Amino acid sequence: MNPALAAVAIAILAGAVGAVSVRDPRIAVLTLAIVLVTTPFLADPIIPATGLVARVLGAVLATYLLWIPVRDGAFTTGGSRLGWPADAMVAAAAAVVGYASHGLGAPTTGPALASAVGFGLAALAVAPILTGRDVVRVGIGLGLLLQGALLVRVGLGGSPSVMDELITAGATGVLGGAIGVLAVTARSDGSAGFALADELPPRRRRATDLRPDPRPSSHPEERS
Amino acid sequence: MTFAAFLAIAFIGTTLALLLRRWERVAVTIGLVGLGAAFVAALAMDPATRLELGGSVLATSPYLRLFLILGTFVGSVLALIAVRAGPRRDGPAVTLGTMGAAALALASPDPRIAVLAITAGGMLGVLLTIVPTGGRVGAGVGLRDLRAVVVAGAMAIAATAWIGRDLADLVAQPVVFGLAYLAFALAVAIRFGAIPFHILVGRLTDAVPETGLPILIAWGPASLAIVGLAWVDASIAPLPVDIGPERAIVVAIAIASIVLATFAAWIQDDLEHVVGYSIVGDAGVVMLAFAALDPAAWTPGRTWILAFVVTRSAFAGWAAVMRDSFWTGSLPDLRGWAIRSPLLAVSLVVIVVASIGLPGFAAFEARSTLVNLAVDGPLAVLVLIATLAPILYYGRLLAIGTRRLDVRSALVVDWRPRWARVDLTDVRGSASRLGQANRVLGMTLASLVLAVVALLTSVGAFGGPQAAAGLPPVETIPGETAP
Repeated sequence: MNPALAAVAIAILAGAVGAVSVRDPRIAVLTLAIVLVTTPFLADPIIPATGLVARVLGAVLATYLLWIPVRDGAFTTGGSRLGWPADAMVAAAAAVVGYASHGLGAPTTGPALASAVGFGLAALAVAPILTGRDVVRVGIGLGLLLQGALLVRVGLGGSPSVMDELITAGATGVLGGAIGVLAVTARSDGSAGFALADELPPRRRRATDLRPDPRPSSHPEERS
Repeated sequence: MTFAAFLAIAFIGTTLALLLRRWERVAVTIGLVGLGAAFVAALAMDPATRLELGGSVLATSPYLRLFLILGTFVGSVLALIAVRAGPRRDGPAVTLGTMGAAALALASPDPRIAVLAITAGGMLGVLLTIVPTGGRVGAGVGLRDLRAVVVAGAMAIAATAWIGRDLADLVAQPVVFGLAYLAFALAVAIRFGAIPFHILVGRLTDAVPETGLPILIAWGPASLAIVGLAWVDASIAPLPVDIGPERAIVVAIAIASIVLATFAAWIQDDLEHVVGYSIVGDAGVVMLAFAALDPAAWTPGRTWILAFVVTRSAFAGWAAVMRDSFWTGSLPDLRGWAIRSPLLAVSLVVIVVASIGLPGFAAFEARSTLVNLAVDGPLAVLVLIATLAPILYYGRLLAIGTRRLDVRSALVVDWRPRWARVDLTDVRGSASRLGQANRVLGMTLASLVLAVVALLTSVGAFGGPQAAAGLPPVETIPGETAP
């Protein structure tokens, strides 16, 4: 086993455990940043410099866009209900499964550690995605799931091409931006922070995009 | 070169429009100009270009070109209607980004890259869910959409990664092939909101304007479906393994979507919900193409996808114009609409013909072929009849339109052109007043244009079936011979 890859793998999993377990969204975003920045280094052979730079820039952009709504620390995120040790155990167990089942019966061209970490990230993402009740927590889960799937792909198919890495960098940035926009939108509406609305509006006429009729007194309701 | 230009226009335009979204008018203008430029670039695109970029090959095809031409044109018209109908600053940018991602995906021979590009494009769609007032609700709907996009993307990435390598020494059970196939098919079903993943569509129709629905649940998912069909044909269909149970699940999703979504569209009282569920119903036919597992489904599958997305976009555009014209999307309040606005009635009739089709239409034949390839025996006849069931909700819409006028729909609709004398001392003001007086007429004509394009696509007038019969791009670089 390559010790450098093992160190990267441990860093990624540690960052992911931190991201899903803490309640302070600033720490959650910063630990997610560790995952996003170190993930491209978990490849053997290491990907070309152009792709690597693109991935790191994409990770930095995503982190920045996520940082904007949480930087004042005014609101908390859900965090783990079981605590970080339980999350760490989940990640470790899934990583062992990923390592042991590497390739699923066929030769691979990527490192087994990538599969292991990919499984670990996917396992950690399950709880936030399924049970998360705020934008930041669900968003972090989605980020981990995407990175996990990409790592499994690296484990099976080897180091991605530069083109692949450019698109991955773009996808990472777009995901960060999408979560950031949603988080800003949620916290700017009322005092519930990043929490999702308890109830969606009834499925009937929407009032939000109705235009006022430019012709005065032409509508019966307006007249009345 | 034109393909590179298309990509540059799409991605630079999207980025600029999103960076400047604080200034709504600027962002919308950039998006609209970008869509127009992308349409021109798509028209000028060489359908046999190969572009080597970052160690990978991108190859254009007639189908890609037609997809982009129709996508940018329909997207432009929908964006124009949206600009006139309601406040959604990100609509043109999201449309442009979705088309750019689709171009990248459909030109890539590597399904792993294609899936990633489509997933990135789909994430942009959450911007359409942000409601001007009541942001928390919009954020919740957007998060649900984002969750569907990422989960579907992760499933498709895992499926393509597992099969996208040398499996000559495979020692695993063949069931894993079935699971990979099922994962990709479910990913497509999730993106389309096919039943049982339709809850998202119901939520989206509460937050997203009619003009945004086709981009979110038709055009973006359609590009994933096209990539998926190519992947299934190349990686799953040729294998001598039994994946009957997985295929049965896909058939069940397809039939449930066709039948239940049509029923849901029929009983809904809101136009947005009718549009949303009509898209889900037609997406069921796309799922039949996945279930066929037969190379013969390649051409009809892609032909149907093209006709379906254009027709549903026309329907969505019509619904948006209806809402703007009558100030409501509630069907009980729209009694007599067809009498009040005959041009909109003509538009709907054209859309009905394009959507249901007639024997000899490319879309009609493609749909029939897909049903026969995916389902056997008497069930095939029943499913074929079910695919014609949208006539129920179209009939309801038309029936409401010809009923006695309701007091709420007694609104006078300016569907006829209005002329006014131009005041030479105030030309700009005169033009503005003239445009305002003919605003509804302009939107109605835009709806009619979309309906005619949908009809022509359904007939096969743009060469859709010929383009759909072409092979997907292959992984060769200039100077090498394709296998």
